[in-house]
Amino acid sequence: MLPFTVYFSPDVFFPQNYPLYIRSVPSQNELKFHYTVHTSLDVVEEKVSAVGKSLADQRELYLGLLYPTEDYKVYGYVTNSKVKFVIVVDSSNTSLRDNEIRSMFRKLHNSFTDVMCNPFYNPGDPILSKAFNGIVSGMMVQTS
Amino acid sequence: MSVPDYMQCAEDHQTVLVVVQPVGIVPEDQFFKIYKRIASVSQVSIRDSQRLLYIRYRHHYLPENNEWGDFQTHRKVVGLVCITTCGAAKDWPQTAERFHGQKEVYSSTLYDSRLLVFGLQGEIAEQQRTDVAFYPSFEECADVERRVEDFVESIFIVLESKRLDRATDKSGDKIQLLCVPFEKKDFVGLDTDSRHYKKRCQGRMRKHVGDLCLQAGMLQDALVHYHMAVELLRAVNDFLWLGAALEGLCSASVIFHYPGGTAGKTAARKPSISQPADASKRHRPGALTANGISADTSTEIGRAKNCLSPEDIIDKYKEAISYYGKYKNAGVIELEACVKAVRVLAIQKRAREASEFLQNAVYINLGQLSEEEKIQRYSILSELYELIGFHRKSAFFKRVAAMQCVAPTIPEPGWRACYKLLLETLPGYSLSLDPKDFSKGSHRGWAAVQMRLLHELVYASRRMGNPGLSVRHLSFLLQTMLDFLSDQEKKEVTQSLENYTSKCPGGMEVITLSDGLKLPPVPFTKLPIVRSVKLLNLPASLRPHKVKCLLEQNVSTASPFIYSPIIMHNRGEERCKKIDFQWVQGDVCEVQLMVYNPMPYELRVENMGLLTSGVEFESLPAALSLPAESGLYPVTLVGVPRTAGNITVNGYHTSVFGVSSDCLLEGLPSVKTSGCLVEVIPSLPRLQLSTSLPRSAHTPQPMSKEQLSSSVSVQLFNGEEQQLTITLENIGSEDIESLELTSKTVNTKDKVFGRFLSWDLEEALRHLPLKPGQTVTLSISIKVKLDFSGQENLLPDLNDDGISVTGLPISSPLRQLLKPRAENKAVSSESGKAEYSHIKTLEAVLNFKYTGGAGKVEGYYRELSLGVHVDVEPSVFFTRVSTLPATSTRQCHLLLDIFNPTEHELTVSAKNSKDLVLHPSECQRLAIQVDKFDFESLPQLYQEPASFSSPKQLEEERQHAQGCQINSKLDICWSIISLQSDYRDCMVA
Repeated sequence: MLPFTVYFSPDVFFPQNYPLYIRSVPSQNELKFHYTVHTSLDVVEEKVSAVGKSLADQRELYLGLLYPTEDYKVYGYVTNSKVKFVIVVDSSNTSLRDNEIRSMFRKLHNSFTDVMCNPFYNPGDPILSKAFNGIVSGMMVQTS
Repeated sequence: MSVPDYMQCAEDHQTVLVVVQPVGIVPEDQFFKIYKRIASVSQVSIRDSQRLLYIRYRHHYLPENNEWGDFQTHRKVVGLVCITTCGAAKDWPQTAERFHGQKEVYSSTLYDSRLLVFGLQGEIAEQQRTDVAFYPSFEECADVERRVEDFVESIFIVLESKRLDRATDKSGDKIQLLCVPFEKKDFVGLDTDSRHYKKRCQGRMRKHVGDLCLQAGMLQDALVHYHMAVELLRAVNDFLWLGAALEGLCSASVIFHYPGGTAGKTAARKPSISQPADASKRHRPGALTANGISADTSTEIGRAKNCLSPEDIIDKYKEAISYYGKYKNAGVIELEACVKAVRVLAIQKRAREASEFLQNAVYINLGQLSEEEKIQRYSILSELYELIGFHRKSAFFKRVAAMQCVAPTIPEPGWRACYKLLLETLPGYSLSLDPKDFSKGSHRGWAAVQMRLLHELVYASRRMGNPGLSVRHLSFLLQTMLDFLSDQEKKEVTQSLENYTSKCPGGMEVITLSDGLKLPPVPFTKLPIVRSVKLLNLPASLRPHKVKCLLEQNVSTASPFIYSPIIMHNRGEERCKKIDFQWVQGDVCEVQLMVYNPMPYELRVENMGLLTSGVEFESLPAALSLPAESGLYPVTLVGVPRTAGNITVNGYHTSVFGVSSDCLLEGLPSVKTSGCLVEVIPSLPRLQLSTSLPRSAHTPQPMSKEQLSSSVSVQLFNGEEQQLTITLENIGSEDIESLELTSKTVNTKDKVFGRFLSWDLEEALRHLPLKPGQTVTLSISIKVKLDFSGQENLLPDLNDDGISVTGLPISSPLRQLLKPRAENKAVSSESGKAEYSHIKTLEAVLNFKYTGGAGKVEGYYRELSLGVHVDVEPSVFFTRVSTLPATSTRQCHLLLDIFNPTEHELTVSAKNSKDLVLHPSECQRLAIQVDKFDFESLPQLYQEPASFSSPKQLEEERQHAQGCQINSKLDICWSIISLQSDYRDCMVA
């Protein structure tokens, strides 16, 4: 199992997407996941813009499965301020259903909110929070 | 059929395929010139009907693809145009033979053919043939287009006849079974009489007729036929052909819905949009109906029913593709269908669904592909992703294509192509090759992926044999990705950079690639990082001063007001630029940078210098070595302005790892600067002084150390006089034309009697102008006369003897001693701490103002100051004064009780008296016979009443004069033998 989580800075303030936090196990061959997540942004943007036209406000944050590749499934989540979360899991992992992924995202979102509440955190900087790291590690252990 | 045509789009289904080929020897450029002219005839309006025939031209077409012509008629080569050259009539038969040979290749499908012969001079014996046209040269062929139109019309006639033939064929009992190449062997020995077989034949034929109708410009009929074909084929589970029928249906609907075409880029189709025929097609679709019969409403209703809605098109495409997917041999068809569907979706702006089609296309296995085909496939995927706005995905595939160009299996890797493709991926990864885009704000894009790409660019450019490019890319990598590189990576990158630069040093020039792309220079503003830039003033002794009156003039011209908010505002703007001191032409000027090294190892910066504009400036480069992860580190860059004017410090240049870079301050918002513009005034001379006395560390209190170029110190007994010899040397390059000397006594609480410092400048001034290298000496006498009278507590208690020089105010300690004690107390408490140390200090500053050269003309001068520090020790004290009448009435004896506070033996001598030797701390009486005189009779020698404003001053001056008078009468001197000093006593003065 491999959860691979990434957080993007909000589109609203920083038009250039760049990762705030990346974590993967196993850590080898990480570049491949960089590519996977990077290309998944295309789909995220497409989904967000498609929804944005009809229901600007009442948007479901969870985007669901972005696209399946041969070995992995890529899930996406976008907050109202356009911060993007992406989770990549091994497609052979059947224990993870939509609901589990959804709750993982919710947890991440909560934790991310805590990070943003930290007065010493400068929005746009890479996330170095230990608490946040702990949450992510916890999820990775739990799902593996 | 193995080679997919990735450029295909849905509307290609309505075109007829014409192959244009050279026969024999035809120059390539001439061929393509003619080909282009032929290809310009892409649609022909058929006479007597309002139909349009679309033609697709190919100059290369595989015969095996032609075999799929029955399956989809637009794959069928129906026309052949051959281009050839024929110099002489005798060559004609041979040329004609070749043409016929070429026709053979496509003979099974060909409707008609033409041969264009160029270069033939003279006549051909043979009779005129309709399928051959002769042109004298490639230039003189004005009617090529018209001939092609004729040719197309003849194709149309055949097409139309075939269509009518097939369409009415259904009454016949036996329908030929159409099949694709790989099916042929499957039908061997099949029962041809079964209902199933018949239905299959019917269905396939319907589909074929639909294709023909579509090509013949009868959209409505085509739709009807396709619908029927779908029904028939669905019933017999003939999936491949069902797919084809569905795709045909989709194509026809797409053509109806999107008359502008879906290919988007194809230039040849573009003009058709503006053509009236097309416009009529859109607005009055009925005009195009079958057989040129004008439309009625019923057909219009029928069309709307038969035509698929945009959503249905996609569903049907999906279905068709899924049917194609069942056949391994139909991979190319499936792939092309996917591409066509994507183009349609791109028009509909349904990117996500399009990406699903593309995702599917990626997985279609076409068997063994050559490397070139793989590259083509990845490139086209990338293009399609770009089309639907998936820039990242597009970049990803482009990069894969680039990597494919240099795959290890390829014997001759195409590094050039790889590099070109990699460059095209840059925007997808939000990378640009201009470091300015990365200089401000947070980082853009995905660093990990960008780094990888840059590494690949570096490697590709190196393998291309262009080390200059590698250096540029590597510099860019180091400059923009520094924050993301690990320590190990930093080391590796810098090492390889040094390797490259040893062959090809990096510079600041713009590299222009062969395709016109410009690579802007990459200045290393982060190696080292500069935090602040500060221009330093010259040292105090070299600072130029403006002559006062000129300065005042300047102020008055600026504004008549002391304060004005408008001017303040203007100054505020100016302040950030202009600095309020001046540099001097020809003198070394300094700029201080605060730098630090972000690298985990020592950073060697070579050839670091200033970049300036405004005046000619000779920068003296410095080399520095910054320790690993150093903190802020001051670096002073120096230079010499060679001309006068305003100089602007624009930035600095460095050479790091063999890459020289010019870092401009305006591009570095993080650099703090207090201004970069400074005035350079014309050159001034420089003076150096040396003295006969030892230097001292003392500085007079109100002056800071910086202001004094040097200072001397000396210890003197009260009343002692010493000569100070000052040697002035002109060490500059200009003549010293004027010299002024002033002195200022500082820090005096005690009253100094007489002149403390005295000199004669006349002698020195005679040497002016002082040429460079010349010296002049000046002697200054230091004379200390201080009043130590406040220190009576050192002395034995004095009893007033009651006898005195009565009524005479004597300007001496004596006088004060004779006064009531109360007054003395006040004085002693005032003179404070100095009492206890016995030593008093005197300090003065000698100021040399000098100027010369061009700077003098501009009204500038320089100041050199010398601090003089004198420690004064008390010498002799007169503890008591009394008089005794002498033998003569005109004379009297003056009795002085003299005390020696020094630690040396002291001899006191006076006029008319023998020497008196005083041991340390001894007190003796000296008797001197003097003539009596009256103070009142003293001439008012050097008193100018006007110069003394107050009575007190007047009194002091009078006392001074009286003291002089006494002094001249008595002429008391003391000397310390052990020190061999012999000085006049000034105490009484």
